[in-house]
Amino acid sequence: MAVSDDDLAHLLRRTEFVVRPERVAYLRTLATLADVVDDIINVGLNGSPALPANFQTEAADGWQQYVDACSFWINAMISKARPFQEKMTLFWHGHFVSAWWDVGKGFHMMQQLQTYRDNALGNFHDLTQKMAVDRAMLVYLSNAQNVKGSPNQNFARELMELFTLGVGNYAESDVEASAKAWTGHNADWPAYVYQFYPTRHDNTMKTFFGTTKNWNGPDIIDEILVNNLAKRAIAARYITKKLWEFLAHPNPPVAVLDEIAPVFAADTSPTNLMNLARLILNRPEFYTTTAKQGLVRTPIEYIVALCYYSGIAPAALGVAWRAESTGQQMYQPPNVAGWKPNAYWLNTSALAGRADFARSLTWWLRGTGRPFADGNVIYNKTVPDAVDFVAGFFGINPLSTTTRNALIAAHQAERNSTPYKNYWAPTNLLTMVMLAPEFHMA
Amino acid sequence: MLDPDISTADARRLLSQPGRLGDVAGPNGWTRRKFLAAIGGGVLGGAALGQVGSGRFGLGRLGFDMPEAFAATPIGAHDGIVINIVLYGGNDGLNTVVPYTNGKYYDIRGPANGNLAIPAGQLLALDGTFGFHPSLNYMKRLWDAGELAIVHGVGYPNPDLSHFTSMAVWMGAHFGTGATGTGWIGRWLDGQPAATADLMAATIGSSVPLHLLGAVRRAVAVPENGQNMFGAGTDPADVRMFDGVRSLSASAAGRGPWHDMFAGVLKTQLNLAIDVAPVYSPATSGDDFTQKMTVAARLINANLGFRVLDLGLDSFDTHDGQPLNHADLLTRLDTGLATFFSTLDPWYYSRVTVVTMSEFGRTPYSNDSSGTDHGTANVQFVMGPNVKGGHYGQPSSFATINNQWDRFVMTTDFRNVLGTVIDGWMGGGAATILNGSFENLGFFRTGPGDPPPTGGLPPLISVPTSPTEFVSMNPQRLFDTRDGTGGRNGPLSAGESWPFVIRGQYGVPADAVAVAINLTAVGATAATYVTAWPGGQTRPVTSNLNPVPGMAVPNLAIIRLGASGDVNFFNNTGNVHLLADVVGYFRDGTSVGMNPLAPTRLLDTRLEMGALGGGQMLDLQVAGRGGVSGTPEAVALNVTVTGPTAGSFLTVWPSGEPRPFASSVNMIPGQTVPNMVLARVGTNGKVSIYNNTGSTDVVVDVLGCFDANASGRYVALSPRRVLDTREGLGAPLAKVGQTPLSVALLGKGGVPSSGVSGVMLNVTAVAPTVNTFITVYPGGTDRPMASNLNVSGGQVIPNMVLARVGSDGTVLMFNNGGVVDLVVDVVGYFTG
Repeated sequence: MAVSDDDLAHLLRRTEFVVRPERVAYLRTLATLADVVDDIINVGLNGSPALPANFQTEAADGWQQYVDACSFWINAMISKARPFQEKMTLFWHGHFVSAWWDVGKGFHMMQQLQTYRDNALGNFHDLTQKMAVDRAMLVYLSNAQNVKGSPNQNFARELMELFTLGVGNYAESDVEASAKAWTGHNADWPAYVYQFYPTRHDNTMKTFFGTTKNWNGPDIIDEILVNNLAKRAIAARYITKKLWEFLAHPNPPVAVLDEIAPVFAADTSPTNLMNLARLILNRPEFYTTTAKQGLVRTPIEYIVALCYYSGIAPAALGVAWRAESTGQQMYQPPNVAGWKPNAYWLNTSALAGRADFARSLTWWLRGTGRPFADGNVIYNKTVPDAVDFVAGFFGINPLSTTTRNALIAAHQAERNSTPYKNYWAPTNLLTMVMLAPEFHMA
Repeated sequence: MLDPDISTADARRLLSQPGRLGDVAGPNGWTRRKFLAAIGGGVLGGAALGQVGSGRFGLGRLGFDMPEAFAATPIGAHDGIVINIVLYGGNDGLNTVVPYTNGKYYDIRGPANGNLAIPAGQLLALDGTFGFHPSLNYMKRLWDAGELAIVHGVGYPNPDLSHFTSMAVWMGAHFGTGATGTGWIGRWLDGQPAATADLMAATIGSSVPLHLLGAVRRAVAVPENGQNMFGAGTDPADVRMFDGVRSLSASAAGRGPWHDMFAGVLKTQLNLAIDVAPVYSPATSGDDFTQKMTVAARLINANLGFRVLDLGLDSFDTHDGQPLNHADLLTRLDTGLATFFSTLDPWYYSRVTVVTMSEFGRTPYSNDSSGTDHGTANVQFVMGPNVKGGHYGQPSSFATINNQWDRFVMTTDFRNVLGTVIDGWMGGGAATILNGSFENLGFFRTGPGDPPPTGGLPPLISVPTSPTEFVSMNPQRLFDTRDGTGGRNGPLSAGESWPFVIRGQYGVPADAVAVAINLTAVGATAATYVTAWPGGQTRPVTSNLNPVPGMAVPNLAIIRLGASGDVNFFNNTGNVHLLADVVGYFRDGTSVGMNPLAPTRLLDTRLEMGALGGGQMLDLQVAGRGGVSGTPEAVALNVTVTGPTAGSFLTVWPSGEPRPFASSVNMIPGQTVPNMVLARVGTNGKVSIYNNTGSTDVVVDVLGCFDANASGRYVALSPRRVLDTREGLGAPLAKVGQTPLSVALLGKGGVPSSGVSGVMLNVTAVAPTVNTFITVYPGGTDRPMASNLNVSGGQVIPNMVLARVGSDGTVLMFNNGGVVDLVVDVVGYFTG
């Protein structure tokens, strides 16, 4: 086939979190990279199974609902036939940010994420319009309180600054006009369902991007993403860059943006996001060393990998707490700008969380009936074979020479130690491999 | 908006940002600075500062690329420290400070209305009007000491009954409308010098609450239990695994920068866990709040620069089961306060103020479930040795409380309380921080660091010391890490703390409370410092020796023994060998007292007999000279060798007895070395002095006399720094020239304010501009012909100094030439 094993593993890590052997086996049968990419991005739209009942209403125990929601999502990332849908859901969660504890009602958040699933690779304009009337977003960015006479700029500002255009591509007067345009686009009480209240809407003339008229909220999104071609091009480049940075590496090559963004800008199809992803994943720049070494596994990606390779159920692992202690509280980005990559995750406290996690999982793996209940499956091998075997168990292929030599020396030292070396040597090797840098690179 | 009935726990989550240990940078070894860095930052150290709930954020920190280093300066002598305690959930002020002579209280909280009233007979009466809840025993003692202010009727206009909204108002503490996204302590941090602000405020816990978030700065979070951090374990199997993980960063892996950075940061974390562990040792005990208060006190004691420490106590939202729950909560608060003040080094008392806050009070009437609902106006406490105890503000009137849902009307804006604290204790700027003018409530007696007007230390704290007598010994070697004597054969490594048990061995009996040892450092591979301190205690920011490569550095150390009879030795940088001889010990008793003397020169071979040759000894008459009695048990001498021709040592021992194998002063050729020596005196009234090899001049000054008839008893303290001219601690920030520096010692560093005849000091001279000597002598007296430290230009030399205190309570420190920085640690004192 046309795709090297190394490229395929990289592609799967970035799109499906982990490299599943059955996916490798199938994708190897396809003729071209384009075929492989098409299979990965063919996630299905609007076909997501309904949320479990416990996420469809407000729960008596809000904390338990949150814990369950964390396990639910990690489980989806691990078990879906096309995990790219969940990867993109994570992308939109970090883009059109809302946050569980700020929104206050968890099931509104769950519904927002369901919208991301259904539109993960759909049409960007549609998705943006849906977010403008999303219950969680109405609360998180205050449009629920945006009424004539006291316009609230929160959503109006972020719509341009963070969701579509980026700073510098609009004037303060545009924010003011947009805020007025969104007055009356509120939520009813107490269900918090979106409703337009004409009496709360500011019907005065407003000037937005140079056009003076009685702008109404959705018109603003239409203007940015459809009608105003200059702004549409800027938005296309902004989203292209952000998705490239999410999937490939920070600071995209200019040529990539120059070539892809105009195609995305011109694409008004119902699946223009899928088309954008296809363009990105087929680019040769996606398979450079820069790209392959360009992203650290986020805490959520680390958790997914640990759960997948070890076989432990997310609920048994307490992923809500683990995600928080490694620095990425699920459903709760730190602010409306979402999460940052790489160095953002590499601080001592967050790595202490990852290490605690690895150590806990070591004990689980060594438990009765678990993969390493019998340490001799490691101990009976030669030292280099034992290291390669455990690395392979966690999907690391291959280890760097530096790491491999260090692990061999450390494991040899364990075997030279006393007492209980046939217990501790396998145990500690498991922890060390989970903390090998290779396992923390996306 | 949010539900008004959002739980207090949810509100806290909303108003906090994740944060624990932070990032570290810097190429050097594990220095104090790195320790500081260790407790800096949040889990998202350097991440965006977010406004909770509504979307805006501080762009200033978003461009996070690499970890930041943190800087801190020690706390100045007049820097106030604020302990901010948040009683989350809404404390019932009405049952905390009870208006027990007001019949309406017993009416609306009486048996017909839920029966929450506390009978007058159970209260801790403060005066004829108010009584404390019976759980508040320690706070009652603070009140009795005149160190606790109660501010009544505290709240804000148009009170909100939501935990979230009300907490946000309190934490924000901003006059004006709209959420600020920042808190009052955070905005105070914003105004502090950039180089130091990162380590000026900390919350003890795992998340940083809104009041500690500024526009550009945020407080750090210190976990209340750092002992179990990954990497801190000492089980051999764990240590092997940690070492294996460390080795993953041995060299670049060729897998890109993030791969290598991951390995490096993980190694940093492992080292960090070990370094932070001392703040958590010995293990804290008690409930989580008491543990937090213990960690807060230890952080202050460590003098890391923290000016604000924030702590929370949860679960004041007593909608039901209030009588038992509220009593339990207030007991926990009271116990935590008592633990804090008993853990706090008394040196910091006059700089500490404790403030409480809570998002609201509770309804005067009970609800139908033996509890109370969200209320409004409340009481607030301000406590500390320099707080002017009493009532402030106007208690809310009961006149408007006639129906179940009536709530108190506030009389005192809480921002008046915080403004008074900011301007009175945190260095000012309240009007800017609070965005408006406020009324200063005047509950501080003096500024931070001024001696409390009541004189000395608060009466509530027991200082764990007792007068002792000194028993001098023939010097006996404890250990020599160069040859394995004492059980250790190998130098102390960088950052190593080494415990050594002395009591019950080496002639030191089981009832000894402190030992005098002559400690010598040799073979240092880097300029470093060595600290000796009692076992089981947090390592103090003091030093006993400042070894540099190529020098042998001796110093007398008088150290309290830990509970296990042990002493810890710490080496900061590089490797260094230590050898030690015990020369005496202190125990409870009255048979031998101490008489500190003004220094008098007893011997100067340069003027008398000429240099002492190798293998030679001399007998020096001490009885009856320089103020020494006719029948001394022992003497405190300052012995200086000058002009030695070979690497050698002096031994000082009781005349007429066999010469022990021990060294009083170690020397290398050409080096002038002073050392204080505690020497037992022979029955002939003399001490013998022996020089091992080469020849050297010897100068001896007497500093004190131990005698059966003397009245002074020694009280050994944990070492405390009382003077550091490099940092403006205890004296102006200026080097010392030829004008004697007057140092007041009474009431400082654990020394009482009266009844003191002398102090035991470890004095370090830092980098004089010329060769010089330092003389320490009693205030109000003429400078004697004597010296305590002889220092060459640029050197750092410490020496123990027994100094008699002048009638004015001071000692004078004279520098003979050039200018020099002086650092003084007090290790004990003699009673009058």
